[in-house]
Amino acid sequence: MAEAGVSAPGASAATRPGRPAGGDPVAQPRGLRSGRGRERLLEVCFLVPAAVYMVLFFGYPVVKNVMMGFQNYTTATFFTGEAPWVGLKNYSAVVGSSIFTKALVNTALFTVGSIVGQFVLGLAIAVFFHRKFPLSGVLRALLLLPWLIPLIAASAVWRWILDQDNGVLNRVLDALHLTSSHPGWLTSTSLALIAVIGVNIWIGIPFNTTILYGGLQDIPEELYEAGALDGATRWRAFRHITWPLLRPVVTVVLVLGVVYTLKVLDIILGLTHGGPANATQTIATQAYNLSFSEYDFGQGAALGNILIVISLVFAVIYLRVNRRAVDE
Amino acid sequence: MSAATAVPATVGAPAARVPEKTSRRPWWATVVGILLLAVLLFPLYWMLNVSLQPAGSAVETPVLPFHLSFDGYRTAIDQQSRHLLTSLVVSLGSVVVSLVVATPAAYAMSQFRLRGVGVLLFAILISQMIPGIVIANALYSAYNDLGLLNSVPGLILADASAGIPFGILLMRAYMGSIPPSLVEAARVDGAGQIRAFFSIVLPISRNALITSSLFTFLFTWGDFLFALTLTTSDDVRPITLGIYQYIGTHVSDWSSVMATAVIASLPAVVLLVFAQRFIAAGVTGGSVK
Amino acid sequence: MARRGANRRTMTAVAALALLAPMALASCGGGSSGTASGSGDDNVLNVQDYYNDEPGNTFYQKLDESCAKEQGMTIKRQAVPGGSLIAKVLQQSSSRTLPDVLMLDNPDLQQIAASGALAPLGDFGITADGYAKGVVDASTYKGKLYGLQPATNTIALFYNKDILAKAGVTPPATWDELKAAATKLTAGDQYGVAFSAINTYEGTWQFLPFMWSNGGDEKDIATPQTAAALQLWVDLVKDGSASNSVVNWEQADVNDQFKAGKAAMMVNGPWQEPVLDATQGLNYGIVPIPVPKAGDTAVAPLGGETYTVPQTGNKAKQAKAAKFVQCLNSDANMTLNATTNHTVPTKTSVAATYAAANPGMKTFVDLVPDLRARTGELGADWPKQATKIYTAVQTAITGGQSPTQALAQAQNG
Repeated sequence: MAEAGVSAPGASAATRPGRPAGGDPVAQPRGLRSGRGRERLLEVCFLVPAAVYMVLFFGYPVVKNVMMGFQNYTTATFFTGEAPWVGLKNYSAVVGSSIFTKALVNTALFTVGSIVGQFVLGLAIAVFFHRKFPLSGVLRALLLLPWLIPLIAASAVWRWILDQDNGVLNRVLDALHLTSSHPGWLTSTSLALIAVIGVNIWIGIPFNTTILYGGLQDIPEELYEAGALDGATRWRAFRHITWPLLRPVVTVVLVLGVVYTLKVLDIILGLTHGGPANATQTIATQAYNLSFSEYDFGQGAALGNILIVISLVFAVIYLRVNRRAVDE
Repeated sequence: MSAATAVPATVGAPAARVPEKTSRRPWWATVVGILLLAVLLFPLYWMLNVSLQPAGSAVETPVLPFHLSFDGYRTAIDQQSRHLLTSLVVSLGSVVVSLVVATPAAYAMSQFRLRGVGVLLFAILISQMIPGIVIANALYSAYNDLGLLNSVPGLILADASAGIPFGILLMRAYMGSIPPSLVEAARVDGAGQIRAFFSIVLPISRNALITSSLFTFLFTWGDFLFALTLTTSDDVRPITLGIYQYIGTHVSDWSSVMATAVIASLPAVVLLVFAQRFIAAGVTGGSVK
Repeated sequence: MARRGANRRTMTAVAALALLAPMALASCGGGSSGTASGSGDDNVLNVQDYYNDEPGNTFYQKLDESCAKEQGMTIKRQAVPGGSLIAKVLQQSSSRTLPDVLMLDNPDLQQIAASGALAPLGDFGITADGYAKGVVDASTYKGKLYGLQPATNTIALFYNKDILAKAGVTPPATWDELKAAATKLTAGDQYGVAFSAINTYEGTWQFLPFMWSNGGDEKDIATPQTAAALQLWVDLVKDGSASNSVVNWEQADVNDQFKAGKAAMMVNGPWQEPVLDATQGLNYGIVPIPVPKAGDTAVAPLGGETYTVPQTGNKAKQAKAAKFVQCLNSDANMTLNATTNHTVPTKTSVAATYAAANPGMKTFVDLVPDLRARTGELGADWPKQATKIYTAVQTAITGGQSPTQALAQAQNG
């Protein structure tokens, strides 16, 4: 896939795939080859501040967390520093607990539901805003408002909205005669997960919309013109021009979306604390409970590490599949 | 209205060739947009509603605040203005730090062919999977030894941990679509890597930079964990922590809480509206010509 | 190959740095150099509590300052949001920066004492003579006293005098009366009774008086007595006398419901009194939580916070901190605390005087001798059991299983 320098605009933009990790080799004009070593050093310098920061701020916590999963880490350990090695005992305890399967299923449902909802709605809204209309700039900025609210305030508001007896949602549904009984959004074991997914989608839409919007704006307008000249309808233009060029941004949004959603803690804790009766207990919330309610940090870290492995597996699989699709 | 609407970034493109570009939608799109926002932002309206109620009666809150009461706002403005300023400083600071560190790295990872880039990418991805509390605990010990507790620079550095990895991943995706031929052309003309970075790559990546900054700002603005962990006194206290003055172990003063939340959003909203205007359309389009 | 070499060398350097840095940080973070924690200044006491909102914030600031002044010292006080106190204490434990005086919610004392982070108060000549038994139990770990608690509270049944009078119902004293009253008082959007069955320790706390008064024990909850108590709650929700939302309500939410007239009775504590008193048109009364049968003793859980002296390595300062804790527990300060914060003094003699002067608190004062510490039997193993309790309660109330099954599964699962 070597770049041959300058090429015709339409062809290069539409056929060049999204860049995989290494990037395409850059053809060097002969004159620069002699400074190649120095050149490399300079290029590395672009990376050094980030690499140093990552090691300093993330290196130690990651290592510590992995180790904690193999230790009997309790409140005493914080003071004495003693944490006897217990090998895989934490992992077997955590996996063997009665809540594990339920938490795993909830996590899968929560993640899939949230991502699908956020992404589809986010993309639809981004496309809607893609072509300007009066006030679109202001509206787009206001769309990010849900992120400005402290989570404690947002979860309190949602709890009131979703309240079974007096909540606004049920009042509206009543007024529209959509339901006869008041559904217990946060109190019924069958509805709680759906409600929590809904709130998470609400929170995730601004994230998806803004990033996808930026990506849409980066697609050159001429491509759409060229496509229109070839008789492409809006849908076909989307499929053949927008989607392939949006792919790298979509990849980031989806992978990060899944990683962040798997980690979601505060919104679930704020709305239901993982209840009722573990109906909204995910692996992340259960890990938090193990550490900070039951003070068994070893088990909490073990469960947290399992979550990281799940994230990793997803990320790897997705990136592989995506790269293969892109190469085709 | 946003400046970059219909005009492409092409230099010297003959005007006759370019018809009305980004076709504007008709006015009804604005109505749809407003309705959409009304539905999506309803919880925020509710927050405003509660903040205007007398003494936070959270249960029987009517749909409209019939008995307006500004007590919550009075309390919030009295006590929280200082914290608001702290939040602003810390958030803007972490945006700057994140941009400075993440942008060159994102560029390098998307355009340069270096070994180990894959490893760093993987490490960054993994870092996003770590629960925040793990990082906070580790940082507390380190900060305590380094004397960085209760300091604005300390908070800025810690909050950048949300912006830097995310910024790298995001900007790398955007920068991936920069044609290498662009930088090539500049190099051929004798520009060094750094010069090319500043004069070619940065202007083209405007969308990426702005979007990344936006989210770094939002992550930092809403951060509670580091604010709680890395401060031990009232000197440096972001507003996410300040709001807890009204949330006790048993009782909560909801109108003050919501009033603080509303006031806390205002400067950020202004910044957001301001920043959004800079996400321009088709900045890369046609530059290869 | 030169370019590959340069590249590889750089990468190796980065990798080496990557491996060394965490280890360097690990040695830094382990905290250890004998730097005395608390503040370096010998005349300043570091005090930490969770009274971050009013009126507690101002009250305790003043009280702490006055007690420090007695010894010619000043204080540096940090109020942490309630839910984050323990996380902060653990961070401080590992970096050896614990405060000089640490307030803990009484059920948390066992955990922290077990870690060795607290100094036994006996070392400073402090005893808990004259305190109610439950109070002493909560602050004692392995036979040694680690904390001194100046004030306590518990939960009781609040009822709306006007609503009950209109319906011709007297405040219930037994479970049967409670069920009957609740049914009669449920009308329109008003529920008969409200309580908190949330899946946090608050839910467990609210369930304990029902469980204990019926002879249930926290060591093993899969017993018929506990099942009967749980059945009461399940019946109240099934009958419609209590809202389904009890599984999502904290005590603050329960109070909101009662305040708004959506519940005729509620299970809550005296800390709600300031808010209730400020509500226009609300006349409320308080009775002990109904007992299973007439004549049974009402056993209520021990609430309130205890003051401890962490091991900071500075013996002189710890002695001063111990005196500070004693000052907070003086008869005068105890009474002041109780009057301002609507709590009850923990020394039986002081409580008696207090009850005489504050008839409104009589119900709570009467409960004090029988208050039971949550950690009294299980010590540091309480948290796991508390989790089982609220899990079983939620499963039973949401109809997943019968009380007996839910309790058995939670206990053994």
